[in-house]
Parts: sequence; C-alpha cells; structure tokens
Amino acid sequence: MNIVVCVKQVPETAEADLKLASDKKGIEREGLPLQINESDNYALEQALLLTEEHDGDVTIVTLGPDSSDEVLRMSMAKGAAEAARIGDDAFDRSDAVAVAGALAAVLKDMEYDLVLAGCMSSDDGHTQVGVALAEALGIPHATYVVEMEMSDGEITVGRELEGGLIEKLQMKLPCVLGIQTGINEPRYASIMGIAKASKREIAMKSAGDLGLDAEGVGEKGSKTRVVEVAYPPVGDGAEILGGTPPEASGKLAEVLREKGFV
Amino acid sequence: MAVSLQERFELLGCIQCGRCTAGCPVALRTYLNIRKVVYEGLTGTGPKDAKGRPEAWNCTTCSNCTDRCPKGVKPMELLIGLRSAAIEKGKALPTVRDALESTFKHGNPWGRGREKRMEWADELDVPVVAEGETAPLLFYVGCTPAYDPRAQEVAKTLVKILAAAGVDYSTLGTAEACCGNEIKRLGEEGLFELLVEGNRELFADRGAELIVTSSPHCMNTFKNEYGELGSDVVHYSQFLAKLLKDGSLKLTTAVDKTVTYHDPCFLGKHNDIYDEPREVIERVPGVTFIELDRSRERALCCEGGGGRMWVEAVEERGERVAEIRVRDAVALGADYLVTACPFCLMTLEDAVKTSGNEGKIEIIDLAELVVMAL
Repeated sequence: MNIVVCVKQVPETAEADLKLASDKKGIEREGLPLQINESDNYALEQALLLTEEHDGDVTIVTLGPDSSDEVLRMSMAKGAAEAARIGDDAFDRSDAVAVAGALAAVLKDMEYDLVLAGCMSSDDGHTQVGVALAEALGIPHATYVVEMEMSDGEITVGRELEGGLIEKLQMKLPCVLGIQTGINEPRYASIMGIAKASKREIAMKSAGDLGLDAEGVGEKGSKTRVVEVAYPPVGDGAEILGGTPPEASGKLAEVLREKGFV
Repeated sequence: MAVSLQERFELLGCIQCGRCTAGCPVALRTYLNIRKVVYEGLTGTGPKDAKGRPEAWNCTTCSNCTDRCPKGVKPMELLIGLRSAAIEKGKALPTVRDALESTFKHGNPWGRGREKRMEWADELDVPVVAEGETAPLLFYVGCTPAYDPRAQEVAKTLVKILAAAGVDYSTLGTAEACCGNEIKRLGEEGLFELLVEGNRELFADRGAELIVTSSPHCMNTFKNEYGELGSDVVHYSQFLAKLLKDGSLKLTTAVDKTVTYHDPCFLGKHNDIYDEPREVIERVPGVTFIELDRSRERALCCEGGGGRMWVEAVEERGERVAEIRVRDAVALGADYLVTACPFCLMTLEDAVKTSGNEGKIEIIDLAELVVMAL
C-alpha cells in the first residue's frame, strides 16, 4: 500500500509575541521556530503505521520555501521513502484551493492507494486543502479522521463530530483523509536520523515541471485573497491578574469569592 | 554487523555480584533490575533497546551502580545505550520526545520559547553579554532555573548574592541554550553533539574564562563531556565557598535553624564535590548542621536526574525515593533540607507535599540559605 502524505511547515507560535508583518497580510515570521504542522505530523505517523502493517511506501509532498526541506528530512528520518517539494515563487500567496491544485498536479503522476493530510493547518486554519485536493483528483474524502481500519480495497474511518460523536464511513480507495491530532502517538526523529536523511534527494517541482501556467497559480490562481490581518478589538470586562503565581492565584481566589462562584 | 551490547559496553567483566542492584535507588521502586539487564546484555538474551525494556527509562543516572562495580563495568552506560537504541528507532516515550523536540527547537527541554529565557530577571538588574562583547565570568543560568517558577527563585537569589559580593559577571541572556546533560542521558547523542558545538562556540565567542553554573547537571557536562572547553567550570556552591573564604561575601544575619543537606548526585557522586556546600552551610551564622545518615557517597538519589524530570517511573511499585529522603530529614528534626540542584529542589519539594509533611520541613536551595544570612 503506497501512501502520499501532504505536509506543511508552520511557525510555532504558542510562546511567541506575535507581530503583524509590515504589509499586514500576515504575521512577522522572522525569528519564529518552524516545525511540521501538528495534525500533519499525525498524518505522517498514521501513514508510517499503515505501511509498516500492510507494506508499501510513504511519499511526502509539501509546497513551501527552502526551509520546508527540514520537514521533509524529518519525515524521511522517520521512515518516508521519498519526498517532493513544490518550491517556486509563482505559488506565493496561494489560497487553500490553489495549494490543492498544485498538490494535485504533483499527485497526478504518482501511484497511490491513499492520500493523508492534516485536518487543519495551525497558521491559516482553512481546513480546506484536503477536501479541495480530493475534488481536484476526483476521489472521495473524509475530514477529522480519528479512527481507521483497512480491509480489502476499502477503509472504514471514524470522523470526529461535535459533542463526542463519531461518524463511521466506509470508503473506497484511493481517497483523501484529513487526519485529526490524537489518532496515534507520533514517533521521534533523531538528529542522527535527520542528518542521514539530509543526503537523500528531494524532488523539486516548479510550475513548469507540473505543466502549470505560472500566471494561473499562486495569488492569481486563488479564489480568495487576504485583504488584511488585524488584531481583534480590545473589549471590556476582562481583567489580567498580574504578579507571581502565588499572588495571582490569591487574587483569583478573591475574585471568585467576591463574585460568589465559590 | 552491529556490535553486540557485550562488546560495546565491555560487559564480560561482570561477575554478577549484585552490588549494582543493591545500590540502585529505583530497584525497589520500579522493576528495573540492573544486574539482570547486565546479565542479559552479556549473554545476548535480552532486548536490545529501551522499547523492549521500558524499565530502562527509570534509571536516574545517579551512577551508584557504576561507582560501586568492583570490576569496573559501567551498567549506567548500558542503560543509556538502550535508550539511545530506542531513540534511533524513533521510539522515545512521548514526554521524552516532547522534551527533545523542544530542546532542538527552542534550546530548552521545557517547551518554552527562547525569547522568554530571561523573564526570570525581569525585575532585576542582570547583566547580559551581547554579541561582540566579552564576559570573563559567565553565570550560566540553565534551563530549569530560567523557566521553572520554583527554580527561578534560585536564579534570582544567586544574582542577589553575586551583587552583594561585588562580583563582575554576565549572563548569556536569551542566547543561552541547554547544556545537554539530560539530553545525553536520555540517549539523544546527536542532539547532544549539536548542543556541544553551539555552546562551545558561544562560550569562546563571549570570551568566558570561568563559567559558574546554578545546576550541577550543567557543570558536569561542561566539565567532563565538552572536551577542551577553554573555560574553567564550577558549580555555584564552589564559587560561594571561595567568596566566603576570601572575604568578598560576608554573612552577618543569624539563621537560627537546624539544617541538613541532600547531596545532589551530579555534584557529589559524579564530581566528588561534597565539602564546599557543607563549608557554605557552616559559615551561615546561627545554623545547627546535622548530617543525614545516607550522605556524601552514600546519599540517596532524589530521582530527578538522567532525564527523569521528563519520565514518570515506568510500572512503579514503591513510594518515590524523594519521599523516603524527606521522611529521613523530618525524622532528623531538620527545619530545612538544603540542596544545591534545581531538580533535587523540585522533586524533594513535591515529596514534602505527597508524603504529608507540609509544615514540618522546608526544602530550600543552598543559595536561599545564604541569602537569608546576608
């Protein structure tokens, strides 16, 4: 069973003091640590587990700048057999549908039984790439996948719905699955393993290689365009309790008592 | 063909005397039987990595087994080797994986941002050596005192003491990165090498002649595992002992307390530094110092070393070793159990709470005892 996993490198922002980029079209990425998008990491692990059980190879595909090679090398260190990167400035400012179009152009020459992607990227949060990719490839898709079971030529997946409900779907292969975090426990890529993987080849793809017109991809090939990114307006009613942890917890206890919550 | 565990760790010397297991602090608390691990390594009958032998994650690398082996076998190194083999296969425990990934991304195992590394010093006047400047005396804070709220108090206290003694020092600010001591012991040799390379370059660039660390763990690896560093490295307890001896630091306020001392493994067993912390304690006016029965070379490990800050004991069966340690100190009638390591401080303080000894004893750092006497 051959599996393609679509991944994306994203900035880690949990601890960062975010600033808007000067063009106000996004955040300032300079100085932020970069990593594999969280749910993509689970998608990669799921693919590795499936190929370990059912044989076959995992191929990793990404669209992004040179730095994205780190994610591909880490994936190969974990066990991916091959990696491809769409690295062409023509794809800058692609929206989810345009990214899916570029990925579909890479996948059209590949043989695969299954395509996995993270269900959502932590930076743009569109949750659309997997779905749009399936549409472009003309194959079925499911999102927020938290369970899966393989049988002859078919796969049964569990989708996470609201309120703890799981929707079970039986799907024909090949299909695209958007993988939710928590479906497995991603393995570690050792530094030694990443160093070894850095000698492996990454197949580079430009718009021309993919038979795409550079004028029809990127922002021009997108259905949406970012007008501006802004901070939400500051509202009323919130109070930040400062001080050391013991001081802050003391103040919080006081507030809770005052308001009659305890 | 891969080298066998027997060859790699020179296990043929083992005579199965059992001194390793007898001295192991986690032998009673977990199912780690180091004598058995060595035997199965020797005969090639046991698992070849910590995935197949998860109890290998329980080792605190206190070094009792290695120090006590009459034949010079290094059982502790074997356990680290089993961890390494698991890491190479990607089979790290999830908490270990997160600590390692964080160290690679942010330069610390605590999952905290690099730019937050100096937040502990926000309200203080702490000098930072910038790129292009030199700092002959470097105070290396360490990840845990930089980020952990309890251990941050030690970093804050130490800079107060340095200021009181008029010491001209600098820190590396947010350029400081993990020393790698715990990373090496978790078995991630590649990441350790990366840290060594970065830190050596940083120390040389900043012209460090003497590095004073707050943690014995950082001191251990800088001193013993970084090769020719070009800087002397001491633990702060050694540095304070010297400041007290030469008169630059004067302690004038009496601290009328009964005090005992817990030897951190990486200060004592790994580096034979037993006297200086005691010298510092005895120079604090008013203090009555009493020794724990198991002290110095016989000191009981707190269970916080060897990466155990990121590993809950696998298949635990007995009480935490730190709880035994706290009970011993309470029985001794000590007001303060003093230690000189951020990991010991945290594990012992937790053990005071979990063993129901709150209000009976306080765990404080040696620096905190000193600052009381200023």
